[in-house]
This record gives sequence, structure tokens and C-alpha cells, in this order.
Amino acid sequence: MGFITPILSASTARAASTTMSLWESMKPPEDISVHGNLIDWLFGYTTYMNIFFFALVCAGLFGFSWFYRASKHPKAYYTYGNKKIHVIVATIIGLSVFIGIDMNITRMSNDDYVGVFANWPTEKENPVKIQALGQQWAWHFRYAGKDNLFNTEDDVVQLNDLRLPIGRKVVIQVLSKDVIHSLYFPNARRKVDAIPGRLTRLWFQPTKAGNWDIACAEMCGTYHYRMKAHLTTYSQEDYAAWLAEAGEKALQENDIENPELFWGWKWQW
Amino acid sequence: MAFFEQHIHSEPKTFLSKYVFSFDHKVIGKQFLWYGILFLGIGGIMALMIRWTLAFPGQAFPVIGNLLFPETGGVVPPDTYAMLFTMHGTIMIFYAITPILIGAFGNFLIPLQIGARDMVFPLLNMLSFWLAFISGVILMASLCIPLGAAAGGWTSYPTLSTLIGSPGAGQTLWTLALFILGISSTMGAVNYITTIIVLRAPGMGYFDMPLAVWGLGLTAILNAIFLPVLGAGLLLLIFDRVFGTTFFLAGAAATSGTGDPILFQHVFWIFGHPEVYILILPAWGITSDLLSFFARKPAFGAKATALAMTSITILSTVVYGHHMYTTQMSPLLTQSFMTLTMTISIPSAIFFANWLGTLWKGSIKFPTPMVFSLGVVFVFGLGGLTGLYLATVTTDLYLHDTYFVVGHFHYTMAASVLLGGYAAIYFWMPKMFGKMLNETLGHIHFWLTFIGLNGVFMGMMIVGYAGMHRRLYNPFVYDFLERLIPLNTFVTYSALLMGVAQFFFVANFIHTVFFKKEKATDNPWEVGTLEWTVPSPAPVYNFKEIPVVKCGPHEFGNPNLTGDRDYQFQTEELV
Repeated sequence: MGFITPILSASTARAASTTMSLWESMKPPEDISVHGNLIDWLFGYTTYMNIFFFALVCAGLFGFSWFYRASKHPKAYYTYGNKKIHVIVATIIGLSVFIGIDMNITRMSNDDYVGVFANWPTEKENPVKIQALGQQWAWHFRYAGKDNLFNTEDDVVQLNDLRLPIGRKVVIQVLSKDVIHSLYFPNARRKVDAIPGRLTRLWFQPTKAGNWDIACAEMCGTYHYRMKAHLTTYSQEDYAAWLAEAGEKALQENDIENPELFWGWKWQW
Repeated sequence: MAFFEQHIHSEPKTFLSKYVFSFDHKVIGKQFLWYGILFLGIGGIMALMIRWTLAFPGQAFPVIGNLLFPETGGVVPPDTYAMLFTMHGTIMIFYAITPILIGAFGNFLIPLQIGARDMVFPLLNMLSFWLAFISGVILMASLCIPLGAAAGGWTSYPTLSTLIGSPGAGQTLWTLALFILGISSTMGAVNYITTIIVLRAPGMGYFDMPLAVWGLGLTAILNAIFLPVLGAGLLLLIFDRVFGTTFFLAGAAATSGTGDPILFQHVFWIFGHPEVYILILPAWGITSDLLSFFARKPAFGAKATALAMTSITILSTVVYGHHMYTTQMSPLLTQSFMTLTMTISIPSAIFFANWLGTLWKGSIKFPTPMVFSLGVVFVFGLGGLTGLYLATVTTDLYLHDTYFVVGHFHYTMAASVLLGGYAAIYFWMPKMFGKMLNETLGHIHFWLTFIGLNGVFMGMMIVGYAGMHRRLYNPFVYDFLERLIPLNTFVTYSALLMGVAQFFFVANFIHTVFFKKEKATDNPWEVGTLEWTVPSPAPVYNFKEIPVVKCGPHEFGNPNLTGDRDYQFQTEELV
């Protein structure tokens, strides 16, 4: 019986998610960042190249197995494969894979990384600045507050609840309190490890208002799977309204006697 | 290096000296084979428990669930889940695949295929097995202690693997077990390298060795160089856990001192990336040989294949950084590691071309070892190509630590090596045990395994691309992953199919070894390498007369051959 109940429950689960086709459910979650499409595009490009080369491998594998099976082709062709033409063909295959896909995607990926993902917003661009602290098993987020300085008493500190405006660059500096975590925004196609004693950072620019998941991607203990935070993206006006309200609340409620509250650090450009 | 001839050992008389503390490389190989198959079973059951939890969260694991987890009514609890995937990874890599391919076939094949009477250091060889045995006992014992076994993933990154993240003794025992296993494998590696250098039969140049020996030799070189690196990292980890040092502790977590948890990742992956090739090189070598043996024509570009494997061995030592992109590397480093990683595809493409070249215009037969070898070509093709997404830094930012990675490395390390290992078992069974495995059961085993594993690992890559990250007890607490329940169920059913398929193998293997009466002939596959010139099963001394090698290992279909043989033994002059 133990074997059968899961089948039944799986079918009810399937009925619950019928709103989404199988093909839809195999795609990555909705992209809400300006540059997430670069990653999706490169993935797609690599996939097409891979399909092409894997089709060649399969053609050889299945084709030769069929055409040269012993019953049809009893006498094998005696060759060591060291004739000039053989060496040339093997070299061409090697180089076409290397130049055709590898160097191609390496160049594109590198351009994207240097030009976008590791091209950190400068002070002049006035990005939204967030400090994130991972701990077993929660994410803390810190906004600078009115004085635009971190680790002061007017900081807005959120637990598992990050709110960001759309249309502005967001820079998040990440640190961990205990073990290594990884701040993962599936909808922005981005993640960065949160490491004790070493500051890492990540930036993206949200484009869509809505509610999304933030996850921890690096194994961090038993309740790793529960280390889930919530991302709310607002329009700029809504964000400003929320931040003003949260700032007021923080000024009233922040207990400046509590050293635990001041886990932040000086912002490093 | 001058060749020397080992004298003929006297046959061991007592049970202990014959089957337990044996110096004979063939017996040690068989010991490693049993050891590996046992752990393969344990690791496989763990994998099924992991899959069960992912597809049917909160439901009791069938049959043995109530026995193992009585306090939760048979449901895998979250802390046990973490132990399961940690132990699954550790066991499969270090206690199943390594013993089967390197321990069993390394030991069994190297002396037989190069025309030696035994390994050059038989005592070291025996010690290598018994250290591995002790290590396995320690690892299994760690499952039974309070707080349970290690639960930080097989990579065991600090600071999770230090006292901050895992207070129990399980993690210490895990570290100790791997350290001891590292010593065991290093002993084996030194032995293999020396044997290949000094004990090749007269007349046998390096390019006259079968490609299996090439693969095993290159693996041994990597093992000898990089296992000590892992050992160093593990030793420091033991210091951090037991003696209160802070090599890997930093920041808020450190009570004093300023270590760096990333240091461990560097040390681990300097070893960890070559480890992938340590596992796969023997399978490549065996596959290259078997394709030629059953296509009945010489291995296409055998020299190029050997050199390609060598260059991959060298390249594998300088690409480890691609495991650490998300720890925020400077673009200068990502560029270098990306380019170096991509370079590996040149030698890979060359030996893929050579494998297909071997099949081209052959006269192909399809006994079980051959279908498994063809399976290796298929799954390694998929595994290799999907590595490209993870080598490019931007796609890796999204895919890192998702099931895409899990699917990818299972294709390269698990699927290819498993199929390669099975090919080897089916092929050398007559020489090891003097009997042939059943062909029909073998083909059923292959097809079920092959369909099952593609379902599992392809499914994993799809859910990974859809965003599901690794090591989650219940992924469906995330809204964006709820849609993946049906796919996860599919993966689990595929895994069950794969599990069921292994019963065909176990039944076949046990029946053949213990109950089958029918003896195999000396050379059932009609192959010319040296191990097939001696009786089946191979006698204690292997070769009464040390053979003199006169031609290469893949002499098939020579048009000058007269008579009804289409192959030549390596001891015969090329016609």
C-alpha cells in the first residue's frame, strides 16, 4: 500500500498545477531583472550548439552501429586511423568544437561578466544600497535609513523580507554570521555566496513589481530548505512611501542599547 | 627502465592467506570489487531515500522506512536527509566507484595486461585494501553514533563542517575516514605507477599498452599528486574540529584568529576537479579498448586517444576555479579559469572523434560489454556538453548549486563511470571468475539502467534549469518550485526503475560466481591482449613464461591474416 498512496497524491498534485503546461513548468522562473535575459540567451545559444554537436555524436553512434553491424558488414576495414585524412578530420572536429562553441560562449560570457555583472554601480549612479547578513537559517536585510549611513540607529532592518524599487540599480553587500550561505534570486538569475569574514556583493535592476522568492542556495545545515526570504518589488513611488514609513517605525522601535542590532558595516564602494 | 622478472609465488594454502590477507593482485582486485559493489548498493538505497523524499515529501519510505526511522513513522527526517545526501556522495565517489574501477580493475588489469606476475609491491597492495576496509568501517560506524553522520554535503565546506555547523563526532569520523582512504589510494597509486614503469613485458612500449592501462595509469598519477592535497585539507579540518585551531574560521564565527573558510574550498577543489578525471579516466580507457574489441578493428587513432587522455590529465589540474565562481572571483580569474576549462574540450572532442572512428566501417557485435561501452559514449557526450553551461561564468551564476549541476556531474561521474564499470565487469568476468555472465540478463540490465539513468539525470538537469536548488529537504516550501512536483515525481520513478534494474545484475553476478557450473573458455571474446593468453580464471602466477610483446593491443581484421582468426595476440609478430 505504501507504494500506491504516493502515486495517488502525485496525481492530485498534478491536478493542482494543471494551470501550467509541462513545457511552461520546465522553464526558469519569470525574469524580473534588466540583465537576466543575457543569461537566458547564453543558455539558449549554448543549448542549440550542444544539440548540434550531440546530434553529430548520436548520428555516428547509432548510424555506425546500424550500418556496420556484424551481420551486415562482416569484414572490418583495417585502419589505425593515422592516415593524413583521419588526423585532419579529427583535428577539424576538435577545433570546430573549440572555436565554434567554446571560445564563442567564453567571449560572450566574459563580455557579459566584465561589462554587466561585475561592472559595479558607482556612487554617482545612486543605486539602492542593501546589506545582507545570512545566518542559520534566515536572511537579514539592512537599509541605510535617512542619514544614508549604515550601522546607525535609523537603519531599517528587515528579517526575511526584502523590498526593492523597480527601475533602479540595487547593490547588495553580503556577509554571513556563521556558515557559508548563498543569496539566490531565482527571478533575477543571480546568486552570490555569503561567507563569514569576507564581503561579497551582487547587483541587479528589477523591472517588474510583484512578489518573489529569495532562497539560500548553499547547504547550510539541517534547515537549509527553510532559509527562505521574500522579495517585494514596488514601483518607485510605492517604494518611497514604504521606506518613509519603515524609517519612521525604525526610529521609534530600534533599541539602541541592543548591540545585536548593529551587525552592519561601513559601506564599501 | 630496465625490465625485471618477478619470481613465481608459491600458491597460498590457508583460507586466510588465500582469500583474506592475500598478496595476489587478482584476489585484492576481487576484494575491492565486492567492497565496491556492497557500497554501491548502500549508496544506491540512500539515493532512493533522497529521491523518495523529494517526490513524496512527508510520506513514509516503503518497506524499510519504518525500520530505519521508527520515531517519525518511516518518514525521512530533515537531519537524516542531510546525512543521506552527504553519505550518498561520499560513498558513491570514494567507496563505490573508486574501488570498482581503480581498486578492482586497476589491480586486476594492470599486471595481466602488461604481462607481469604481480604488482611490484604486493604488500603495499594488500595494505591499501585493508586501510580502505578500515576507512569503510569508520564511515559506516559514524552512522550509528549520537547526532549521526556527517551532514555538510560531500564537499563539507567549513564553517559548516567545523564545530560551528556540525557539533557531532560524525563529521570528525567522516574526515578521518576520508583521510585514511586517501592514504590507501595513494599507496595503490604509487604501486600502479611503478608497476607500469618497471614491469611491462619485454617488447612492450607505452603505446603497446591497452588504453585501459593508459587510463588507469594516468588516474594513478593524478591520485598520487592530488590525494595528498585533500589529505592536507582534511588534516587542517580535523585540527579545527579537535584541537581548536582556526584555519577555516573567520568573521563573527571565529572566537579568535583569522582563518578563511574559502581556503578549504581552494584546497578541496584543487583535489576535487582532478578527482572527476580520476574517476572517469579508467572508464574512458576501458571504453576505448572495448569499442575496438567489438568493432573488430584497431582502435582509431589509439596514440591520439592516449595523448588526448594525457593532456586532459594535465589540464584537469589547472581548472578548479570554475567550482568557485559564486564566491566572487575577480574577472581576471574567471577569464583564466573559463578559458582553461574550455580547452579541455579539444582533447575530449578528439577522442570522441576517435571513438566514432573506431566504430566507422567496423564489423560491430553487440554483447553486453559493448552495449555498456556505447552507453558510455552517449552519456559522456551529454555530460561533457552540459559542462559548458557551468564553465561559462554568467550561466553558472544562475545554475550554480542547482539540480542542473547535480544532473551534469551525475552524467559525467556517475552515469559514465557506472556504465564503464559494468562494461568492465561483464567483459573481464571470465578472466576473474572463470565464468561468463548471462547475456540476456545483461542486456535487460543495460536497457533498464540506461533508460532509468537518463530519466533521472535529464530530469535533474531540467528541474535545475527551472531553478530548483540542491540539498533541499522539501523544495516545495518555495512558491516558484511548486510547479516542479510532477517532474520530481518522474525523476523518482526513473530512479526506482534504475534501482530495480540492478537486481538483474546482482542476481546474475551472484548466480554466476557461486552457482554456475559452466566454465568460460580462455579467450571467449577473441581478443589479443595479454590477459587472454592465459587460462581462465587467471592462475596465481599469471604467466608461466613472461610473454614477449611483438604488436599492439588492437590487432583486428588484418587482411594479411590467414586462417579463421580475425585477431592477433600481442605475443605474435604482426603479419
